[in-house]
Amino acid sequence: MEFVRPDSIEATVAALQADGAACLAGGATLVAMMNADLVAPHRLVSLRDVAALREAARQPDGTVVVGAMRRHRETAEETDLRDGQLVLSEAAAQIANPPVRNMGTIGGSCAFADPAADYPPALLAADARFSLIGAEGRRTVPAGDFFLDWYETALEPGELIESVVLPPAPARTVGSYTKLARVAGDFAIASVALVLGMDGRACIHLAVAVGACGPAPVRRRDVEADLIGGGLGDTEIRRLTDALAEAFDPVDDVRASADYRRRVAPRMVRQALVEAQQRISETP
Amino acid sequence: MTGEPVTLRVNGAERPVAAVAPWTTLLTVLRDEFGLTGAKRGCNQGVCGACTVTIDGEPVRSCLSLALNCADRDIVTVEGLVPAGAPAGALAPVQQALAEGNAVQCGFCTPGILISAHALLRRNAPLTVDEVRAGLSGNLCRCSGYKKIVEAVVSASEARP
Ligand SMILES: Cc1cc2nc3c(=O)[nH]c(=O)nc-3n(C[C@H](O)[C@H](O)[C@H](O)COP(=O)(O)OP(=O)(O)OC[C@H]3O[C@@H](n4cnc5c(N)ncnc54)[C@H](O)[C@@H]3O)c2cc1C
Ligand code: FES
Ligand code: FES
Repeated sequence: MEFVRPDSIEATVAALQADGAACLAGGATLVAMMNADLVAPHRLVSLRDVAALREAARQPDGTVVVGAMRRHRETAEETDLRDGQLVLSEAAAQIANPPVRNMGTIGGSCAFADPAADYPPALLAADARFSLIGAEGRRTVPAGDFFLDWYETALEPGELIESVVLPPAPARTVGSYTKLARVAGDFAIASVALVLGMDGRACIHLAVAVGACGPAPVRRRDVEADLIGGGLGDTEIRRLTDALAEAFDPVDDVRASADYRRRVAPRMVRQALVEAQQRISETP
Repeated sequence: MTGEPVTLRVNGAERPVAAVAPWTTLLTVLRDEFGLTGAKRGCNQGVCGACTVTIDGEPVRSCLSLALNCADRDIVTVEGLVPAGAPAGALAPVQQALAEGNAVQCGFCTPGILISAHALLRRNAPLTVDEVRAGLSGNLCRCSGYKKIVEAVVSASEARP
């Protein structure tokens, strides 16, 4: 095993082209797996000295670019995120516990793509996209096309997540992230990320993604699109939760049974939507 | 050990190691090379918090930090909570508070708790019970003495000037 610490994105991409090379970000997952003898990369490429990956910046139009090495604690406290984009900071604040949030990064979490992780549903609901860079150059992948299957992403071998890009959220949208876990700081049994905008009684923006209920976060853009322009009462919410539930593919694990997840997640979506509408109606 | 040389800054002192393998964790180097056995290896998976140290002032897991990735960082272990040169047996205020509050049972979790608590106490305001519970949520105590631990840290925060 070899350890390298490049200080630029170019040098990092070059170092990643070797067989068995792996990025080392926070180490919160990778080193745990090395300690358990589950993986042994031939070359560890530490990202700690690549300054460009540690930045987050808000552009004039409200787009926020979050560098892959931003740690969960930084994202939880990110002042550049506004309105519906706050779904991401709410998710970051609910990951694990303070020491793990001081280590783990958004790039590492998304590259690992644990189906119960908190960022994937939040990024789907925020309509975020990934900026990836490899030997062939840069490409952009929408979050919905990035998380593919159990622990499987659109990353190609030798490719690096450079940043996560959040488009500006429409003004006066709210973002929220609700997580059900056995104890605070555990991985989710189920989670709901949403971005909602209302104009009086009419729904003008709707994005709901459910985590930990299948290999990748579940979102039903088709039904969301149908609901835009109308009210968001019991009937409409029911249409969305039924459609989401159809797309669930949960597993039984130590945290909960698949059956429990199927029952609880639609109720979490309903509650999150009711609460978000309340928040909007109380905001002057 | 095979590997490369590295110098780590631990509790204010520069400490060289002749050869560290890439997979060697900070926890292993602290315990096996430097004899700093305050940080404990409970799970080696980031879950229990017994190995918690601060790096550049923030509590992190030393079992999930690779030693070679810690060069040029400021590492503080429980042994470093008392300033160098203090009389033998001197305790930091947070250590005093846990001792006086009978907040230690077997003591395995205590070094990690002290590091997390010390980081919390750097904030000026007195801490609430909820803030302390959230701040210590990454440190498990198998003896389940949480109530006294939390009370001791709250009282240490109130005693601050
Ligand atoms: C006790 C504990 C509790 C946790 N609880 C939660 C939780 O409640 N919710 C949650 O979401 N997560 C949780 N996690 C996981 C945590 O969020 C990790 O930080 C995260 O999964 C991995 O991030 P990292 O920066 O540590 O990545 P690393 O461990 O360094 O890397 C993980 C993987 O990603 C690859 N990688 C890293 N960065 C990049 C990049 N920029 N481009 C391409 N590949 C990259 C690595 O090669 C490796 O394969 C928990 C972890 C622990 C130890
Ligand atoms: S030994 Fe590091 S968290 Fe348990
Ligand atoms: S005192 Fe025994 S584990 Fe905490």
